[in-house]
Parts: sequence; C-alpha cells; structure tokens
Amino acid sequence: MESFAAEASFMLNAAGNAFVIMMEPTRLAFLSMGAFLGLILGILPGVGGLAGTAMLLPFTFSMDPYTAFAFLLGLGSTVATGDPIPAVLFGVPGGAASAATVLDGYPMAKRGEAGRALSAAYMSSLMGGVFGAALLAVSIPILRPAMLYIGSPELLAFAVFGISMVAVLSGRAPLRGLAAACFGIMMAMVGADPQSGTLRWTFDTAYLWEGLPLLPIVLGLFALPEMCDLMIARTAIAAGSNKMDIYKGQWQGVKDCFQHWWLIVRCSWIGGGIGSIPGISASVVDWLAYGHALRTEKGAAQTFGKGDVRGVIASESSNNAKEGGALVPTIAFGVPGSASMAILLGAFMMHGLVPGPDMLNKHLDITYSMVWSVALANLLGAGLCYAFSPQFARVALLRYTLICPAVLGIIYIGAFESSRNWGDLYTLLFFGLLGWIMKQFKWPRPPLILGLVLGDLIERYMFISVERYGIDWMTRPLVVILFALAIIGLVRPLLEDYRGQGGLRAILGSFGRARFEWGQLFTLFYLAVFSAMVIMSRGWQFNAKIVPLVVGGVALIAVVLSLLNQTFRKPAAAPASGTEISAADNAALLTGEKLPVNTGKIHMDIESDTAHLPLSTIIARAAMFFGYLLAFMGSTYLVGLIPTLFIFVVAFMRIEARERWTLVLSYAGFMVVFVTLVFDRIMKVPWPPSLLGEWMPALKVIPSL
Amino acid sequence: MNLHVPMRLTRLVFPALAACIAMGQLASPAAAQSAASFYKGKTVTVWVGNSAGGGYDLYARAFARHWGKHLAGNPEFIVKNRPGAGSMLLTNELYNILPKDGTAVGVIGRGMPLEKLLGNDLAKFDSSKFTWIGSANNEVSVCVSWAKTGVARFQDLKTRGMIVGGTGAGADTDSYPKAMNKILGTKLKLVTGYPGGNEIMLAMERGEVEGRCGYSWSSAVSTHADWLRDKRMNVLVQIAMQKHRDLPNVPLITELADNAEDKQVLEFLFAGQVWGRPFLAPPGVPADRAQALQDSFLAVTRDPAFIAEITKQKLEINPVPGPELARLLAVQHKAPPIVLKRAKEATD
Repeated sequence: MESFAAEASFMLNAAGNAFVIMMEPTRLAFLSMGAFLGLILGILPGVGGLAGTAMLLPFTFSMDPYTAFAFLLGLGSTVATGDPIPAVLFGVPGGAASAATVLDGYPMAKRGEAGRALSAAYMSSLMGGVFGAALLAVSIPILRPAMLYIGSPELLAFAVFGISMVAVLSGRAPLRGLAAACFGIMMAMVGADPQSGTLRWTFDTAYLWEGLPLLPIVLGLFALPEMCDLMIARTAIAAGSNKMDIYKGQWQGVKDCFQHWWLIVRCSWIGGGIGSIPGISASVVDWLAYGHALRTEKGAAQTFGKGDVRGVIASESSNNAKEGGALVPTIAFGVPGSASMAILLGAFMMHGLVPGPDMLNKHLDITYSMVWSVALANLLGAGLCYAFSPQFARVALLRYTLICPAVLGIIYIGAFESSRNWGDLYTLLFFGLLGWIMKQFKWPRPPLILGLVLGDLIERYMFISVERYGIDWMTRPLVVILFALAIIGLVRPLLEDYRGQGGLRAILGSFGRARFEWGQLFTLFYLAVFSAMVIMSRGWQFNAKIVPLVVGGVALIAVVLSLLNQTFRKPAAAPASGTEISAADNAALLTGEKLPVNTGKIHMDIESDTAHLPLSTIIARAAMFFGYLLAFMGSTYLVGLIPTLFIFVVAFMRIEARERWTLVLSYAGFMVVFVTLVFDRIMKVPWPPSLLGEWMPALKVIPSL
Repeated sequence: MNLHVPMRLTRLVFPALAACIAMGQLASPAAAQSAASFYKGKTVTVWVGNSAGGGYDLYARAFARHWGKHLAGNPEFIVKNRPGAGSMLLTNELYNILPKDGTAVGVIGRGMPLEKLLGNDLAKFDSSKFTWIGSANNEVSVCVSWAKTGVARFQDLKTRGMIVGGTGAGADTDSYPKAMNKILGTKLKLVTGYPGGNEIMLAMERGEVEGRCGYSWSSAVSTHADWLRDKRMNVLVQIAMQKHRDLPNVPLITELADNAEDKQVLEFLFAGQVWGRPFLAPPGVPADRAQALQDSFLAVTRDPAFIAEITKQKLEINPVPGPELARLLAVQHKAPPIVLKRAKEATD
C-alpha cells in the first residue's frame, strides 16, 4: 500500500511538473502552431498526420525535447479533429480513420444539419481526445506489464474480434457484407507474402509488390461515389433543406455530446485501447466504435446510416482517442503504434531518448508532457474549429460545380501522397468505380475496409501463432474470451435474421421463379473476380495460398447464395400494415434488395439519392463523371498534375454549368497557387513525370511538369 | 574456439575515417570548375527508397542538410521519399527514368545491388553501371539471444538451436538465418511475419521468440544498451566483412566456415554489409560531376556540424568511398557460378 502511495505521488509530481513545463509560452506557441497545421492537414482529404509530421521533423532538431514533442504531437492530435470536416460536408473522409463519420455525418449535412454534425464531431473529438489522454495518464504504471502480456495469439484474437463486426456492419445484407469483407481480405493479400515471398496477384508490377495502400482505396470507395452522385443529382449537398440555422445547429451538436457522454467515454476507451495495442492498425477504430454503438445504442439499428448524430459521435470520439493510445507502445517499447508514431520515434532518437522503461521512470516528466500536449492540442483544435465552423457549414449550400473541382483535385493529390506512384491514381479510380456501383446496388462498403485492414493482421499473426505454439495458443485466456465474443457477435445477428424471417420454412417458401435484374450482373462480376483470384492462387506454395483459398472459398459460397437469393426470391411482401413504403424501400426493391423488412434492420451504408432520376440519365452522368476522371489522368500524363488541375477546373465549370469566366479563372488560379504552395513548395511532393516534361525538359520550371 | 560475449560496452565512438579519407582523390581544378558552374543555382534531389523516419531516411536527411556546403557550386539539396518494393522501385527509376545529369542521387537498400544477380526479374538495372557515390556506413549485423533462454554462444545454435523472429521473406532477418542453417549447419527456427524489427525485439522480451539474426549493431547499441549492459541479451555472432571495434570477442561469420567454398558463399552473401547505406546516382553522370559528388560525400562525413548531428541521432558513420563500392560490386559480378548457385539456394 505504501509503495502504491509513493508511486502515485511520484506520478502526480511528474504530471504536475510536466504541466508547469508545458505552460511555458514558447512551448504553448509551438503547440498551437502544430495544432493549427494539423487541422489544415486534417481537412485536406488524404493528406494526414504522416506527411505533416515528416515535414515538421527537421524543424525540431534545435528545440528541447518538451517543445519538440509539443510541436509534433500538436499536429498529430488535431489531424483527427480536422478529418470530419470534409467527411460531413462532402462525404469525403479526411483520413482513413474517419470513414465511418461519413455514414451519418454526410446524410446530416444533406438534411441541412451540417452545423450540428460538425459541432458534434468537434465536441466528441475534444472529449475523446481528452479521455484518451487521461486513460494514458492513469495507466502509465501498468503499461509495460500489460503490454508484455499481449503476444501474437492475442493480437490475432483482437483482429478476429474486430472482423466479427462485419456481421453488424452488413446491416440487412449479410451475404453481401460477407462477400465484401472477403474481397477486402483478398485485396489485403496483394503483394509479397511475408511467409514465402510469393508475389500474390502483383501482375509483375513493382507497385503492387508492397501491397495496395489504404488511402486511395478509402478515398475511392467513399469519396468518389459521393462526388459522382452529387454530379448526377446536379444540386448542392444540402439541396433538400432551404434554411439552415448554423448557430442553433452548433448548440444542438454540443448538447448531443453531453447527452451521449457515456457513449463518448466507451468509444474513446475503444479508440485509446485499440490504439495502444502494438501491431494492431488503428485505422479501423472508427468502424469498431461505430459497430459498438450500433450494437449497444437504443434504436441504432433503425437510424444509423441515415444521419444519426450518435454515429458521428462514436466515430469521432474514438479516432481522436487513438492518438493518445498510439503513444503507449511507442513510449514503452519503441514499437510505433501508427505510421506517424514511427516518425515520432525518429524524433526520440534525435533527442537522445530511448523508448522503454526509462520513459516511465527517469523521463516520466517528458512522458507526461506528451500526455498534456495531446490533451491541450485537442482543446485548441476544437476551439479553432468552432471559431471557423459557421463558414465551413455554409459550404454545403454551394452548387456542385463549385464543390467538385476543388474536392476532386485534392482527392487526386491526397491519393497520390500515399505512395507517390501512378499506381495510386489507378487504385483510386478502380475503387471509385467499384464503390459507386456498390453504393448503387446496395452492397455495404464498410465490411470491405474492415477486411482490408484486418485481413493482413489475421494472416500474419495466425502464421506466427501456429508456427510458434502449434495449437496451444488457442487455450490462452484472453484468446478464449475474444474468440467467444467474436462468435457471439457473428451468430447473434444471424439468428435474429433467421427468426425474423420466420425460420427455414418461411425462407424456403419465399423462393419463386427465376427473375433477372441488373444488380445480378454485379454479383456475377464478383463471382468472376473471386474465381479468377482463386484459380491464380492454386499454383502457389502452401503458406502463400492457404488463406486466399479459404477466404476465396467462403466468398464464393456467399456470392453464389446471394445470387440465388436475388434470382429466386419473390419480391418482398408489403411491410406490416400501417407503415408506409418509403422511397428508399421502393428503390431497394428495384435494385434487388429483397430481404423482408420486418427484420427491423436497415441498409448499412449511405443510400444514393438519385433514385428519382431515370436510369439512362444516371448512367450518362456517371459515365461523364468517370470520363472526367480519366481525362484528368490522361492530361496529368501529358502535361503534369498542376497544369491539369487548371485545365480541369476550367473545363468542368464551363462544360457543366457555363459558370462566369471571371469566377472560373479566379477559382482555377487560386487552386493552382494553393497546390503549388502547399504541395510543391512546402511538402515537396515528387509529381508523376509527364510526357511534355520528358520532351522539353526546359519547361520543367513549371511545377509538376 | 574461444567464443564469448563482450561484457563491456564502449561508448559509441565513431570509427576512424583515415583509411577512407586516404582513398578519396582530389579532383583536378578544371573538373571542379566545370562541376561548380553546373551546380550553381541548381537543386539536387536526394531520393530515398524507403519511407520517412526509417534508418535510410535519417541518413539521407542528415546528408542533405550539409551536402550543399561541400559540393562545388553550392546547390540546394532536398529529400524526397519514394518507398516501394523494398526500394527496388527507386533503384529501377534511378537506372531508367531519373535525370542522369547529377541532379538526382539516391539511397537504396543494401540488398538491392545483388538482386539481379540472385535472379530477381523485377530488377530492371545492372548495378555495375550505376554511378556509386559512397556508403555512409560499413554495417555490422549480429545475431542476439535473450539471455534467459540459456543460448550464450554460437555453438549453442548448432546443438540447442534457437527460435528467431523475422519480418518477412527477403528481409535480412529471414535470409540470414536461412543462409546460416544451410551453410553453417545451425538449427535456427524462423518465425516470420512480424511487422518490423522493433516488434521482434518486443516478442523476444515477452518470450515469444528467443533471438534475432540480422540486427544492426548500431541499432542494438542505440535502442537496447540497457539489455547489453545488464546482460539480458547475448551477442552470438557478427555478420560483416570485418569485426566491429566494440565486439573483439564475438566471432565473425566468415571465420566460422568449414571450407573455402563455404567462406566464399558467405562473403558473397554478406558483402552488402560493406555498403550498408549506399548512395548512388544514375549511370552516365558526367565524370567531373560524379567525382565532385563522391568527394563532397566524404567531405560531409568529416564536417563537425554533421558529426555532431549524427552523434545526437546515434547513427553510425563509417564511410566507404564510391570507387571502392564499384570495385566490390565488380568482384561480386565475377563470382564463380558455383558460388552464385549456392548463394541463390541459401537464400531461397
């Protein structure tokens, strides 16, 4: 008891000292500067904390360690505060960890509640960030022993538990959700297999050797489809609402957060906890928190994905908390908890600090100064957001010709930032098209991301566990608990569905004559892709092909069942008397979504609001949209990315809406100056080489040529 | 054999540069003149084949901050990361796409120069044709064991064996133990798939693996000096061409070979340690500029400001001049077919 008291007073002392140190004006100034930069980087989709931290690193050489970490963490902590802004306003996730925010934030903006959604996002970010830091602060003494308890089998179990969320994130389309998750896992396995070095599905390209990068996929799946639908609908984002009271909305958002404080606490613990496990990627914490809220919040199954503020709160409180969590393995073991933490580790080295026991002992004040930095930066970030928010929220009222050019341009650059390769742009385009079709035909997209991130971990840690422990690892207590939770999470929704549909006989009874729908072609496409991937993998070494074969097999079964279901299921009976058939339900019937509505579940994704348009118009405008994207890439290939940006902005605004020339030219000019300044001058992005630049090297004075 | 582990850790002292300095030749005044007029007002890009924050990146950024002072014409230096396929992407681009006028230089993985020889079809370059600028460090890798396991000497690897962690096929952590098993008859059991080297060390601490092979000595000293001091970790063998001054009593891998051919294969496989952090430029850089780059590279390594910075970051500097790299690579390219064949088998 005495030693505990001594320990506690030692900690309090260090925490107090650290606070005094942090209050020094220069440090606060650098912290604020970092927080401000982080917000801006967060707002730009695809450009996240990683690029920013790398950029700031050289400036920290001459600082003392407290100031250096305040600067770097100031940036890292607020990126997640800036992320929801494009997610809410445009449906474009600002980073991989705020994709779940799109699901409810964007529908809220469409309803004219952008102000409320943003305000809830900031407040929950702030509270999540502070709770995350608090969790870190109190758990410091037990960090190392706790971490040493978590081995590869436990990591595997965590990943399996995470992937069991697929069941709840699939909504009322479990088979499609399962197939999408399997597709995500297969995509995660593209590249050199760590076990045997087999190059899986790389088609002899060096780009695919290290696997597909996450960010172009997230931007493709979630951002491009929203932009495409915006162009198809030809409206402003908040077209449906004619008046918007921003200040009232803001106040409402704050109230929402305090009303749901317990949800915030739980989600920030999820964020901080998952973020602190070394080896588990934190880029799915938003989905795990979202899935948790969906499971536990009252009535969530009916309203999530349709603009429920609790969805925004769950996602945003978790992703701000993860930064504090990610510090844990970095400080305690030198194992970076996230990509930007890897750079922070570089900063440790530069300041002569060695991660490990010393940081929790001799340098405890530095550790606490980091905790304070994270907490203070979250406060500053949320404050700045509130100050500028009214301006942001109005963006939702702008017409699409003003939104699309800038957002698409930044998405392209953001995607290119991930590995700075042409391949990123192809990946973006491919998943953009896939995402749009999935959205149209109501295939849930969240399971794909979950599979993509966790699939790699599951394969990795399964091999390590089996190789090292045989089957003994399965009896470890934490593994047993997590596996049990995963099974419950998987089986319960299935049983509910089964009962909801009236048992086996009722399900069989609902089958009828074969019918054809367009949606079946897409299912056939998946069938073909999975078959091709499985066939290609047959010749590989055992270690390289076992997981792809199993996952591919499960996927094929799911796709075939889904196809049978689409083909032979009678159209759903009218819902129980007294309920109206909504437009969305009608659209669902048209597109082949035929699970009876009385399971009480919803489609777990944003729905297209273009159903009122004739099919031919939708197809023509979508073709136009992807035509623009192709033209963008073609032009980048010819004359470089920045000149292309100018041409694209002018062409888009003139062709789509004959906007005034003065507006068009000043818009295009501003974009070019902004991108040149930020990406060429400050971040020194290596642009994709262009043909014109090859022919006439003298022209290379123009950036990106 | 007298194999024991160093009980004492000297402070990290940078190895003498004298030998290398003697090798650097002085450029003729005329050549320096023309290089100076070329580089004046230009920007030189240092391309890094790995991601920001890693070892290669730290070296590149440290060099870039000081290089301009020492290169004729004082150009501006900037760093760009081009990660992909373990830096093979960049190596291919340096050979085929990037400008050959001396404004593009790069740092690539030390395994890259041999990829083509070892039969990798993705390697679209002939490493003997590059303009080699120099290596920042002559690396020494080691095999370590967690002391609690009782594995204390190299001999134990042949009798008891050891579970080692790896980061994936093709990495040093994987290919070194495989090669040692095939050529030296050790019984290393490889458990691979860890996301990075730090994760292996954590797995060792919690008892999931028993040791690690292919662990840079400088990184061991900078991140786990306490384990070495408290003898919680044993150093079993050093993998390099020459012994590290800190480790006089740890056997060198090439000394452990049973016969001359085995020794040759080991030397072929581990020669890459000499060019531990290789800087290079595309083939065909004009001779005067190549010379200016090589000379200024060595000059940077003698700059007190650079040394102070690198010391703070706990990076090792033990430069190897460009012409020496080119010579070593030429030797590699002339390796007898049987050596090449066995080297391929050993890493397969």
